[in-house]
Amino acid sequence: MEWAELIGRVASQGDREAFKLLFEHFAPRVKGLLMKTGTDADVAEEIAQNTLLAVWRKAAQFDPTTAGAAAWIFTIARNLRIDAARRAIRQARADQPVITDEAEEIADSPEIIMSRRDDVSRVSAALLKLSDEQSRVVRMSFIEERPHAEIAETLGIPLGTVKSRIRLAMNRLRDLLDEPT
Amino acid sequence: MSISHHPPEELLADFATGRLDEADHLVVSVHVSQCPACRRFTGALEHLAGVALEDTAPVAMKADAFAAIMAKVDETPIAPRAEALPAQELPDDHLPDDDLPEILRRFRFGKQRRVAPGLKMQPIILPGTGESRAFLLWSAPGARMLEHSHSGTELTCVLKGSFSHEGGKYGPGDFDFGDGDVDHQPIVGPEEPCLCLVAMSGDLKLHGMLGRLISPFVRL
Repeated sequence: MEWAELIGRVASQGDREAFKLLFEHFAPRVKGLLMKTGTDADVAEEIAQNTLLAVWRKAAQFDPTTAGAAAWIFTIARNLRIDAARRAIRQARADQPVITDEAEEIADSPEIIMSRRDDVSRVSAALLKLSDEQSRVVRMSFIEERPHAEIAETLGIPLGTVKSRIRLAMNRLRDLLDEPT
Repeated sequence: MSISHHPPEELLADFATGRLDEADHLVVSVHVSQCPACRRFTGALEHLAGVALEDTAPVAMKADAFAAIMAKVDETPIAPRAEALPAQELPDDHLPDDDLPEILRRFRFGKQRRVAPGLKMQPIILPGTGESRAFLLWSAPGARMLEHSHSGTELTCVLKGSFSHEGGKYGPGDFDFGDGDVDHQPIVGPEEPCLCLVAMSGDLKLHGMLGRLISPFVRL
């Protein structure tokens, strides 16, 4: 199943069948990832619904040459989560008027989108060269947002090793990305 | 323009996964928008996040979730390029400087004020600020800032001009990260005033006799 193709069909024809497949695959995963990183179930449900709604609305902006479908959907969910967190802070303070309520406010700028296109091949080449061990700690720490102590326990390695492995993975990724393709 | 100072990788990773405070996020995004290397780095993190999303164990959505989304879809048809930025409606003269990067042009700014001789700042009004606050900081050419460290963190992206400290020379696009461990005394380059975007949490701690004497008057 090519997710990018389904997003393309939503963009070009408003294809509801294609959208339903995207929904069935990604909404429960967005919800799952959010809950895994500590968002409560109701908020996660709401963000997952809004993420898919945004997938429908922004399907035409998806550019398969700059990102994979899953990475794109992750960034939408991420922006919506940031937006929800900020809204919560504002409500708690009930203070100043707000510029907008939309996640678009903090979406990528056109400059970023433009040049990202040039970077894709380099990014995927670099990620392939990162060892499994390294990409695993990066993922656990930053994407699953698990505390270092928990990562140490899961992997059965000392806490200090977790920290140094993350550091090494970050440096290695930086170096790989700086290599000419 | 060549950028030689970048955010620490951990900070970039937190940026890519949406874990930064609004003010910190803003400063990093201004740097990233000008820095191809950091853009690739955040792109790589997003790619990894996409892979992680694919592997995540699904959690069932509510039974009516799909119907709820489709109802909203039917309510509002797809708006072509719905991303019109709200700040474009703001008059250009609301901007404190003509050459601000695109990302900053959509924000509102507070009142400009003098902080110390040769130093003025203007806060950026952020919808939901967390721990840190963002502001523009102008400093006069050749100004020597007071030696200071931080109780929190200080993220700086140079927009115009330059400054130097033990870490090297920082020009447009360069990013400087300071925390409690860093004790520095930046000197502004002599060629032109230096304009920086700064996100700061906690307080500035001034050192030395003079610092202690004037610190009650310096507010950032």
